[in-house]
Amino acid sequence: MLSAFFKGLGTTFKYLFKKPVTVEYPEVKRPVHERFRGRHQLQRFANGMERCIGCSLCAAACPADAILVVPAENNPEKPNSPGERFAARYEINMLRCIYCGYCEDACPTNAIVLEHQYELSFYDRKSSIYDKSMLLVPVDKGHGDIPPVLQQLDRRPSPPAQIDL
Amino acid sequence: MPDVNLIIDGHAVSVPAGTNLVEAARAVDVSIPVFCYHPKLKPVGMCRMCLVEVYTPRIDPATRQVVLGPDGQPQLALMMNKLQPACVTPVSDGMVVKTTTEKVKFAQRGVLEFLLTSHPLDCPVCDKGGECPLQNLTMQWGPEVSRFDYSDKVHFEKPIKLSDVIYLDRERCILCSRCVRFQDDVAGDSVLGFDNRGRSWEIISKSEPGFDSKFSGNTTDICPVGALTSADFRFRSRVWEVRSTPGVCTHCSVGCNISVDARHNKLMRVMPRENDNVNEIWLCDKGRMGMRFIESPTRITKPLVRHNGKLIESTWDDALNRIANNMASVAERSGSTAVGGVIADDLPNEDLFAFRKLISETFGSANLDHRVGLPGDAAIDEAPLVAGVGVDTNLTNLGKGTNVLVVGADVEEEAPVYVLRLRGIQNRGGSVTVVNSFATKLGRGANLDVRVKQGGESAFALAFLKQIVDAQNANGFDRRLRGFDELRNQLNKYTLDVLLADAGVSAEQLKKVVDAYMGASNSIIVYGRAARQIGASISQNLASAAMVTSKCGKANNGVIALSNANTIGATALGIRPGKGGASASEMWDLAEQNKLRALLLVGVDPAGQSERVAQALESVSKNGFLAVQAMFHNETTKRADVILPLMALAERDGTITNAERRVQRFRTAMASPNEMLAPWKVFSTVAELAGVGASSNGRTAVTSGWDYMVTSDVTDDIAKSHRQFANITYTSLDLTMNSWGRQANESVYYDGTSYTNTEGNGVQIATIADDASAPLTVSAVAPVTFEPKGEFTMLMQVPTRAYNGGTWSIDSKLASRQIPAHVIISMADATRWGIGVGDEVMLSSPVGSALIRAQIDKGLAEGQVLLPDVAGAPTHLALGAYTRVSVRRAE
Repeated sequence: MLSAFFKGLGTTFKYLFKKPVTVEYPEVKRPVHERFRGRHQLQRFANGMERCIGCSLCAAACPADAILVVPAENNPEKPNSPGERFAARYEINMLRCIYCGYCEDACPTNAIVLEHQYELSFYDRKSSIYDKSMLLVPVDKGHGDIPPVLQQLDRRPSPPAQIDL
Repeated sequence: MPDVNLIIDGHAVSVPAGTNLVEAARAVDVSIPVFCYHPKLKPVGMCRMCLVEVYTPRIDPATRQVVLGPDGQPQLALMMNKLQPACVTPVSDGMVVKTTTEKVKFAQRGVLEFLLTSHPLDCPVCDKGGECPLQNLTMQWGPEVSRFDYSDKVHFEKPIKLSDVIYLDRERCILCSRCVRFQDDVAGDSVLGFDNRGRSWEIISKSEPGFDSKFSGNTTDICPVGALTSADFRFRSRVWEVRSTPGVCTHCSVGCNISVDARHNKLMRVMPRENDNVNEIWLCDKGRMGMRFIESPTRITKPLVRHNGKLIESTWDDALNRIANNMASVAERSGSTAVGGVIADDLPNEDLFAFRKLISETFGSANLDHRVGLPGDAAIDEAPLVAGVGVDTNLTNLGKGTNVLVVGADVEEEAPVYVLRLRGIQNRGGSVTVVNSFATKLGRGANLDVRVKQGGESAFALAFLKQIVDAQNANGFDRRLRGFDELRNQLNKYTLDVLLADAGVSAEQLKKVVDAYMGASNSIIVYGRAARQIGASISQNLASAAMVTSKCGKANNGVIALSNANTIGATALGIRPGKGGASASEMWDLAEQNKLRALLLVGVDPAGQSERVAQALESVSKNGFLAVQAMFHNETTKRADVILPLMALAERDGTITNAERRVQRFRTAMASPNEMLAPWKVFSTVAELAGVGASSNGRTAVTSGWDYMVTSDVTDDIAKSHRQFANITYTSLDLTMNSWGRQANESVYYDGTSYTNTEGNGVQIATIADDASAPLTVSAVAPVTFEPKGEFTMLMQVPTRAYNGGTWSIDSKLASRQIPAHVIISMADATRWGIGVGDEVMLSSPVGSALIRAQIDKGLAEGQVLLPDVAGAPTHLALGAYTRVSVRRAE
């Protein structure tokens, strides 16, 4: 009877001196893995242009139909994104999203990325819809150069070998 | 043609001689990939995608006999000892075709690999992405990887605007020449061409303004890549996101089948829907890009009622109650003759039927019309219902042995897609005769282009009838023909020479026209605006000619009248003045005399076209009640007591009758703003409301028979009460047949664009001539002549222009093509009065004069004046088909 009492307390004392596994959320946040899929971000190129070209492939890939893209034509004077097309509206319904990351896979310009933020809560359903202004990273947080296929080039391929007759 | 037997991939095939291998393979569901080949165009073998192995029986050169092998079977030899392009290789007996051998696959992979070396692969931003043959063919037949450097591609600046509506992306183009061939062969506007050579080879527009064709949108459909895209749909949405709803275009009387592609209740694009009986797979630019008005912010979306002289927004209940009460009380106080109604003849059958029922049964009035009541109105024309083209007419199948006689019509402007269809008949070996008073596009390419004197159309029609009747003997006639002897007597009063002189046509020309008409096994007569304005002296005489020669009442023979989208339906459903009733123009007279006190106008704007009518409507509004249902504010709505918003066709369902009397069904593609009521629903509610008072104050309005719940209830009621429409139900209209896009992998085949029609070809209502027992009464109508008189030494016509700046042009990309108001005069007159191109001239007719810019046409005869019917043109000067005018330099 008593031995069982001490056996139980023994477990208590054993854990008393171990490092606890819990963290004091929300003061302390547990780090996530590199490939964790959290809240989405719309990326930019290094020059500040939006990476998203409004192709809607993310919306097509989305199994939960959480993404809405309404494309429009870039103003050549002041383009939002490289090329002719950009997303005039880009919305993700975070309540619908299942964070599968298919949109990331579908994206031809690596514009949409599931980042590490996982604290998503809303007071009403409407505010679960994140629009473009909420999803886009700041202008100075861009990376990478624009691929040639998206640039307005007037370029012939490298000339064939010149034959000297 | 005799059938040829061959074997394709082990399947025995039997097809007519002359069929190419691609089509033969399709017959047994073998897919041969193609880029440049298109079944509606002549094959050219440019892309080499369709290379296949073709074996033919070996022939002994000495004996010309097939060499037999040891097994008794013919020995086979590879044709030309290399792969053959299937699209330009006709079938021959004993041929053995292999489409899946290693050699063929190697060639197909090679072709695609090469095509992709200079294709940018910007599918994510390409409007064709998702319905792109290059994508599809690459997925099925292409190599997995390319050996070429991805970043070392041709890159051109993009896009180039070929026109305001068509953009060219040169780096996407694979130079298949489908667009060039379409423009040259099908449309007959050779405005596209190739420029440069080798890697710099590119498509250019040769015309000024660029890509000047009414059919340019079709090139974006048949383009196998995203090189040609439409500015109208540019970056609006991805093609898989749109929801397609079958519709029917109502810009003209062709009744082209369209599919209305909408997303989130917004119109994205309009695409042609295949229907071999109507538009094949084509659609004119006006139909494709002229539907943006439905999203215009200026549309009337709420009922408006006049309150203390001001129009204020109201509810449907209130507006309908006002209409019912006011019209009923006018009918009660001033009698039913004080009530009248005019409805536009481009509204669906259901609306027309319910409208007639409301005006003539509920209010008991015979004042009913579908015309706006202006001098330029056409007469009510029964000819298409009597001698119209027979049931099962299909212009797409016609070719050799067909003659189409076009009288008094500018087909390209009045019904653009008919140009493609008539040219198609010509391309297949048929002949087209055009008789008109001025040069038309169809006439330029016609086998016979006869120019009649201005105002001579009706003399020509009678001369045509006389020539035919004189050559006929009374035997061998259709037994049901009535009045032939009277007809002959009537015609004996005229001498051919006088008629020919009036028509300005030589006897040889007339003989040629008659010979072409009589000599063909299938003969069709098409007449249009000019003819309809002149009236029965053309339509009746031409119909009589068709009846006398038995060239009606059977498929592919008869007359076609080009008019508005549902003029035929309006005529058949009795939207016309009843016994003792007033036509629209008589209604305006009655209104001026204050005898017409309640008027319901649906979809028409007569006040906008005539000052006199505007005043007449003003007086109706002042002394009585004027209700107008309209889509946009105009001169007529300004004078209305109650304005109801009008639904666009894409926002509702129903049926509509085209020029060939084909009744076609269209469906609801999107919701209307503010939940409008369809016109038939408006009419039935008004009828019921007007009848509610019946029990209380003893009115005797008819209220029964208005228990329509849905549109098809009205359709069924039409079928019950109109014998011609007896077999028209939603179910019968939904039958689809004779489409070429039926194979399993059609999208891989000719185009990615889905023309597929699974929603019905429509049903042609029968003519009187189609009924084998109905008597056919023939008669001749005296010709109408037009002579200049006094100071007005010239004769003016008001021809239709497709780009006339009507409702369709609101928010349309085509608005830039709209023709500014101008008057066209002949070279002789220009010289005589010292008028240059673009000069401002004073155009005067007996009813007034207006300042307008002048254009000069060398093709016109002296004294001939054309005033194109476009927005801003002073058409109120016209007094009918021809008006006496004078044109002088403006001082």
